[in-house]
Amino acid sequence: MPQTTAQTPTPQAAPGRGAAPARPVILPEYDALPIWKMEPPKLVAMVKDPSSTVFQKAIACKKLAFVGGKEAVTPMAALLSHPQLSCYARFGLEPNPDPSVDDAFRDALPKLQGRLKIGVITSIGVRKDPKALDALTKLIDDSDAEVARAAAASVGMIGGMQASRSLQAALGRTNSPVFPVAARAALLCAEGLMASNRPRALDLYAQLSAETMPKPVRLAAIRVLNAAGPAPEYAKKWPAPTGEAADRDKSGFLGRER
Amino acid sequence: MSEERNRVTRRRFGTSLARAGMAAAVGGSAMEQAPAQAPAQPAAPAGGPVAPNDQLVFAGIGLRSRGMYDLQRLLPDSRVRFVAIADVRESARENVKSYVDKHYGNNDCKMYRDPAELLARPDIDALLIATSDRWHGPMAMWAAQSGKDMYIEKPGAMSINESYAMADNVRRYGVVYQSGAQRKNQFAFEFAVGLARSGRLGRLLAVHADTAIGLGTVDEGGHSWWPPETPEPEPLVLDWDKWLGPCLWRPWNSAYPDRGRGEFWDFHAGLLEWASHTVAMAQWAADMEHTEPVEYVPDGPTFRGDGLINRYTIYCRYANGVQLVLRNHSWMLLGSCSNRFEGTEGWVEVGDSGRIEVSPNLKSLVPTKIGPKGDPTGEHIREFLQCIRSRTPPRANAEVTCHTHVTSHAAWICAQLNRKLTWDPAKRMFLKDEEANRMRGRAYREPWRMEALATSM
Repeated sequence: MPQTTAQTPTPQAAPGRGAAPARPVILPEYDALPIWKMEPPKLVAMVKDPSSTVFQKAIACKKLAFVGGKEAVTPMAALLSHPQLSCYARFGLEPNPDPSVDDAFRDALPKLQGRLKIGVITSIGVRKDPKALDALTKLIDDSDAEVARAAAASVGMIGGMQASRSLQAALGRTNSPVFPVAARAALLCAEGLMASNRPRALDLYAQLSAETMPKPVRLAAIRVLNAAGPAPEYAKKWPAPTGEAADRDKSGFLGRER
Repeated sequence: MSEERNRVTRRRFGTSLARAGMAAAVGGSAMEQAPAQAPAQPAAPAGGPVAPNDQLVFAGIGLRSRGMYDLQRLLPDSRVRFVAIADVRESARENVKSYVDKHYGNNDCKMYRDPAELLARPDIDALLIATSDRWHGPMAMWAAQSGKDMYIEKPGAMSINESYAMADNVRRYGVVYQSGAQRKNQFAFEFAVGLARSGRLGRLLAVHADTAIGLGTVDEGGHSWWPPETPEPEPLVLDWDKWLGPCLWRPWNSAYPDRGRGEFWDFHAGLLEWASHTVAMAQWAADMEHTEPVEYVPDGPTFRGDGLINRYTIYCRYANGVQLVLRNHSWMLLGSCSNRFEGTEGWVEVGDSGRIEVSPNLKSLVPTKIGPKGDPTGEHIREFLQCIRSRTPPRANAEVTCHTHVTSHAAWICAQLNRKLTWDPAKRMFLKDEEANRMRGRAYREPWRMEALATSM
């Protein structure tokens, strides 16, 4: 075994910034540790209990993100309309693999407005729930532009053929500030389709390479198309030089393309 | 973000190319621990003065102590024209404006409270981003979606899923990304990596990385405690909602802006305080920059429940059998951020002390004059500016940063769960461990979102 100049690591304090600092003073009502050590049934009971504080419910949801099962879904979903706890409920629900989470998000969608609705729309996108595509497609035309933007983004994250059709249609009827998000979502959708339906993906990329698209999206689409091969109308795009252009064309390069 | 339909003219396109094509040199390096007010080494432009229309137009987001340090090395470069700052803190905005205006002798630096307004400016080519950790991932994604190149401080992402989303967005939009892992341009580290990659160490056995949990502690409760609520500041002074960003809501307390990173899991990126540097270096040395170890085994005391797991070793193994050993802070006494690479025919050790230690058989390879030992941030920024011109990935590009972060987050999850984990780099998931897989992401608080292809559930 090669030698080393290193000290043998020991459990004693090491020098520098790694030395153990003291635990800060924590008020009992804001101490997460006792909640963190609870088993899932007690955490679920804490979320359900009307007498639990906002802090208790928040930390219980946070822990349930990692250990909660089906029984944790309904109690946390009930918090999706809570102004402060909605983010904790989504934090707890998003990684839960139980399919009832998708049902809970879809059920909550029509009951919420503004930010809280945006949060649920985003969670649906993260979970790639195709059953929500119809509802999200309608929301792309929502009067709340931020809701519409979130809906377009989530349709792109869900991806697939239906999503690509929704976004292609949205690109034809939306304006700023929804249009740029719809364009980015379509780009995401096209990327997802490359493995499953390459011709459809390239068709979408071609649409996104139009001059009317936001510059970053357009350039991204052009790069993919470049990697895929030359443009089909390559020869037609090189007209014979005439007038001043022909005079400048000393190399004859342009003429060769005819 | 560029929220308008594209109105690019041929002239503007040509101007962008001209801006991107300027070559010169950037100001030199200085010690990392120097105070933010210390004057930077003056620029030494190799190509002489650069016409204003040919400069790269820069803006900053979230520049305080480290950000100002970076700015002092960026601003003297004649290729750069810095025009705007966005920050949720009024005092920080004004501080940067004052510094920039003094440098240029004018009053032109614009201030924004909302970074989205800055990102919407089509005249801005590139960004210097040095917000707190929780904003690095979202800002990188927004910058990429806006078509802007970026030099962004580390750590680059708060979770495994965010790491992939960040790199995917940078790749998708074709922007140049340089993480603030500046040791990738420091002589001693380059030399050590070169020994490993050249075969001089023989068959590689193990790469060691000095890591640290950070500036505070992380306990079994995820350090999810709240200080008591106090009245919120005026949004113009400090916009609490935007300060929190995608993190979980909590009531305001003035302790957060000053202590926010180290003491609270929500604002903390686990091992990545130093792993952003040292794991990056180890993966570079092992030629494993585009993957992660497949196995993680914790060795050390379990969580005590009341504080620290600052004494640990995490043994990781790549698919080819090479070990990555994550040690706790300063274990080699070669200064912070130390690395050791060992093979069948020799070993090398380096750290921020600038010393290079090697096995006796390799001593003749160590140069007698080993170059500057100081902080290489100036060199790192210079490489970034060159890559903006060539449109090639710099050393700390988004892809290698992503894999560094996934490795470090996976190791951190292993430490928190205190059990062996197996990772599948292709599927981007742990095998047969649902709890670990659930820890790969952190749901963004509304209204923020990633706009990324979801990782496998």
